[in-house]
Amino acid sequence: MLDRDLLADVLDTALKKGGQFADIYIEDRLTSNIMCDDDRIERIHSGREKGAGIRLIEDGRTFYVYTNDLSREGLIKAAALVSHGIDTPCPAYRPATELRLINTELPINIRRLPEQVDFAEKIEYVLNANQVARDLGDEIKQVTVAAGDLHKRVQIANSDGEYIEDETARVRLMVNVVAARGDQVQTGQEVVGGVSGWELLEQVAVEDLAAGAARRAIAMLSAPPAPAGCMPVVMHADAGGTMIHEACGHGLEADLVQKGLSVYSNKIGQIVASPIVSVVDDATLPGKYGSYRWDDEASPARRTLLIEDGYLRGFLNDRLSAARAGTELTGNGRRESYMEKPIPRMSNTFITPGRDDPDQIIRDTKQGLLVKKMGGGQVNTANGDFVFDVQEGYMIKNGEISHPVRGATLIGNGPRTLMDIDRVGYDLGFAIGVCGKEGQGIPVGDAQPTIRIRELTVGGTGMSGGPLIKKIWRK
Amino acid sequence: MEATLRRAGEEALHNVRAAGLSGEAFLMHNRELSIEVSGGKTETLKEAEQTGLGVRVFNGRRMGFAYTTDLSGPSVVEAVREAARIAEFSSADEFNGLPEGRRVYPGMMILDENLHSLPLAAKIELAREVERAARNYHPSIQIIDRAGYEEYETAVLVMNSRDIYAFGQANYCGLHVSLAAVTPEETQSGFAYTLQRKAGSLNPGEVAEEAANKALRSLNARTIPSQVLPCVLDSQVTAQFLGLLSVSVQADNVLKGKSMLAGRVGQSVVSPLLTVADDAAREDGVAGFPFDGEGIPSTRTVVIENGILNGFLYDTYTARKAGTQSTGNAVRSFRSLPSVGSTSLMVTPGSTPQPALWEDLEEGLYVTQIMGMHTANSITGDFSLGAAGILIERGQLTYPVRGITIAGNLLDLLRDVDGVGSDWRFYGSRAAPSLRCRSLNVAGN
Repeated sequence: MLDRDLLADVLDTALKKGGQFADIYIEDRLTSNIMCDDDRIERIHSGREKGAGIRLIEDGRTFYVYTNDLSREGLIKAAALVSHGIDTPCPAYRPATELRLINTELPINIRRLPEQVDFAEKIEYVLNANQVARDLGDEIKQVTVAAGDLHKRVQIANSDGEYIEDETARVRLMVNVVAARGDQVQTGQEVVGGVSGWELLEQVAVEDLAAGAARRAIAMLSAPPAPAGCMPVVMHADAGGTMIHEACGHGLEADLVQKGLSVYSNKIGQIVASPIVSVVDDATLPGKYGSYRWDDEASPARRTLLIEDGYLRGFLNDRLSAARAGTELTGNGRRESYMEKPIPRMSNTFITPGRDDPDQIIRDTKQGLLVKKMGGGQVNTANGDFVFDVQEGYMIKNGEISHPVRGATLIGNGPRTLMDIDRVGYDLGFAIGVCGKEGQGIPVGDAQPTIRIRELTVGGTGMSGGPLIKKIWRK
Repeated sequence: MEATLRRAGEEALHNVRAAGLSGEAFLMHNRELSIEVSGGKTETLKEAEQTGLGVRVFNGRRMGFAYTTDLSGPSVVEAVREAARIAEFSSADEFNGLPEGRRVYPGMMILDENLHSLPLAAKIELAREVERAARNYHPSIQIIDRAGYEEYETAVLVMNSRDIYAFGQANYCGLHVSLAAVTPEETQSGFAYTLQRKAGSLNPGEVAEEAANKALRSLNARTIPSQVLPCVLDSQVTAQFLGLLSVSVQADNVLKGKSMLAGRVGQSVVSPLLTVADDAAREDGVAGFPFDGEGIPSTRTVVIENGILNGFLYDTYTARKAGTQSTGNAVRSFRSLPSVGSTSLMVTPGSTPQPALWEDLEEGLYVTQIMGMHTANSITGDFSLGAAGILIERGQLTYPVRGITIAGNLLDLLRDVDGVGSDWRFYGSRAAPSLRCRSLNVAGN
C-alpha cells in the first residue's frame, strides 16, 4: 500500500499545468494459472505485477500514463509526464489535494485467498476434472483443463479528494473436451468462475463440469448440421446471456451512445423492446463474475435499470461520459488493468425473469430451434447486427425437443430481436465471459430467463428441405 | 537498455545456478505512445513504459515459471524461488529443456531511431490529418469515432544457462480511424488501420479513404435468400481465415490431435494455387524480429507449398517431442511460458488483379466483413459466421448485403479456391491477398 500523502502529491503534480480532474489507480496483482492438456500438467504460471495508471482530464480530453515504478520518484515523474500533452498550460490556483477514505457497505466475501491455497490442491482439482472427462469413453480424444486465479489490491485516489482501498479475488476453471468418431470431431466446454476465493469449487463440483463438457461433445457427434434459414428460437435459461450482452448491452454503453455509434442513441423513454422485456446491469450481485464493490475509478457499484417493460431507461457510464451527459454515475467505469484508462463497460447484465413456465414455452412452439448453450458472440453497435455461436442446440417439433443439431450460428439485429421476444420464463440462468472492447478484456456475467424470439436467422450448413443438401453428404 | 535488462537477467541466472538448476531469463522493456484526436484536438494521449522478467527453471525434467514487473534484486530472487517451487509441483516431461549453444541472428532493420526523436506535435498532426481527411472524404461521413496515432517500441533479452544470449530492439508506428456514414435511415461503420516501420511510410489519406469507403459501401444493404454462391474473399477476410488455419499448423495442436492437418504432411490439403509461409525474418511485418521467445534465430518456414502440406511450426519442446528442429516459433511475453505461435504468417499473392476475380462471375458474393471468427471450430475448421459484403451480378459489384451467415469448412473452402489476387497486404502480423472460391453456403432470409 502506498502512502496517502504521496498519492496526493502525485495528483497535485499531474494538475500543475492545468486540467480539471486527475486520478491515480494502483494495482498489486498476484495471479496463478494451471493448465492440464494431453493428460499431463502442461504449465503452471505464477506472477506478481504492480503498477500505477495516472489520468488527467482537461476539457474532456484524457491524458494517461502508466508505470511499474512505484517509487516516489517514479510516480512523480509519471505525473509530470501526464501533463506534457497540454499544449497551452493554464495553471489555476487550487488547494493541495486532501484525500479522505470513503467506504462502501458492500462486503468483501473471500474466504480462501489464491495464495493461501497450495498448488498441490489446485492441481488436484484440475487432474480430477481431467480424469472424469477422460473416463467417459474412448470417443474422448483430448481434454484441456485450465484453472486460474487472481488476487488484487487496489488503491484509487482522485483530485476531488476521494480515496478508496479495495481488494478482490477471482477464481475460474474451464474444461474443454474434444470427442471424435470417424471424421467427426466435436468439442464441449464448461466454465465456472466468480468473484470468490477457492471456496467456489466447494459450491460447484468440478466433476459435474467435466462430465457436462464431455457429454455435450459426445452428444454433438450424433447431431446432424443445423438447418439454415429463419425460424423461431427458444433460448433456454441455461444458455446464459450472450444474446442480451451482444444484442443490447454494448449499445447501451454511454461512450458509444454519445458518439452516435449506438442504435439506442437519443432513444431514452422510447419503446425499444417488447413490453415483457426488462434489462438490468447489476455489479452488486454477490460472487458473480462481473461483480465489484467499486468500479475502477472509485465510483460505488450499483444496480442500473436499462430497459423497463420495453422502455429505454438509461445507459451505462463512466465519469467522463456521465459528466458529458450531465447524468448521475452508474459505476461502470472499468479497465483491464493499470495499463488502461477506464471506459464504460457492463458488469452483470440480464433480462429479468418474467411469468411463463419455461417448459410451456417449448410446448407452445410448433417448430424452431432450442438453444441450450451459447458460445461467443460479436456485435456491430452502429447498426445493431450481432452474431453468436450455439454450442448445444436442438430442433423443436410440435412442442417437443426432437434431436440435437450442430454448427449453428445465429445472426440478428439487436433492436429487432428485442421487439421480437414474445415469451419470457420465470427462471434465470447465468453465464460468465471475458468481454473485449478497445482491446481491453474484462470479466463479465450475463443472464436471462428462458425466452422465445419469433424469428432469427440460423446459419447452419444443412438446408432444410430444398434441393441443396449436397453439403450434408460431404461430411 | 541492454545493460539494465542484462543485470537483472544475470542476477536471475546466478540464483538459478546457485539452486543447482538450469534456467532462462526472458526480459522485456516496452514503450507505448497512443494519441487519439477528436474535432482536431487531442482527446486521449497515453504514454507508458513497462519492464518485466519471466523466469523459467528446470529441475531435471520438471519445469517452473514465474514473472515479475519489479527488476530489483529481492523481487528477482523471489521470482526465481517461486519458479523453483512451482517446478516441484510440475509433471516431469522428457522433452522439457532449453535450447543450447550460441546462435547467429539475422541482421534486421527494424528499429527506426528517428521515430523516437520525431516531436509529439508531429505525431498528433498525423492523427489530425487522418481525421480531417476522413471528414472531408464524403458528406455522409458524419461521425469520426476514433482517429489516432500509435507507436510501440520493444527491447527483448533472452539468456539461458546453456549459452543462449539474444538481444534485439524494434519499433513500429501506426494510424487508425473508426468512423460512420450517417443517412436519415441508418448508420454504418467503417474501420481501417496501417502499421509501419517508419513514420514516413504512414499515409493518413489512404487510411481515411479505406475506412470511409467501407462505411459508405455498407449503406442501403439488403439481405439475400439462402443459397450456394461463388465468392470472393477480401484480403482482410482471407487474413482472418488464415488466423483460423494458423491454429492447425502449430505443432502443439498437431501433437495433441487438435489439428485438421495432423498426419497429412506431403499430401495435397488445399488448392494448388495456395502457398502459406511463416517468416519472422521479414522486416515489413510488425511481428518481424531476429529471434523467438527462446532465443532461436528467425527464419522462413513454408507450411503449405502449392497446396501440399510441407510441415508445421515448432518451438523447442514440440520439436524435441516430434524429433525435429525448432522453427523459431516460440511466442510469449514475460508474463507467460513460450508456446508455439505464428509470427508473420502469409498467403503468397497471386497475379490476378482483384476486380478480375469477379469479372467472369455470373452471380457471386464479395465478402468484405466477417463477424464471430472466434466462434469457429479451430480443430475441424467448421465455421458458421456472420458476414456482410457486396453482391456480384454479371461480373459487376452491385448492391451491399448484410444480415447473412456463411458456413462451411476451412479446408473445403481453401480447396475450392480458383483464383488468388495480386492485392496482397499485411493486417497486423498476417498478410494475405483476396481469394476466389467456387462455392459457399450462404444463409439469409
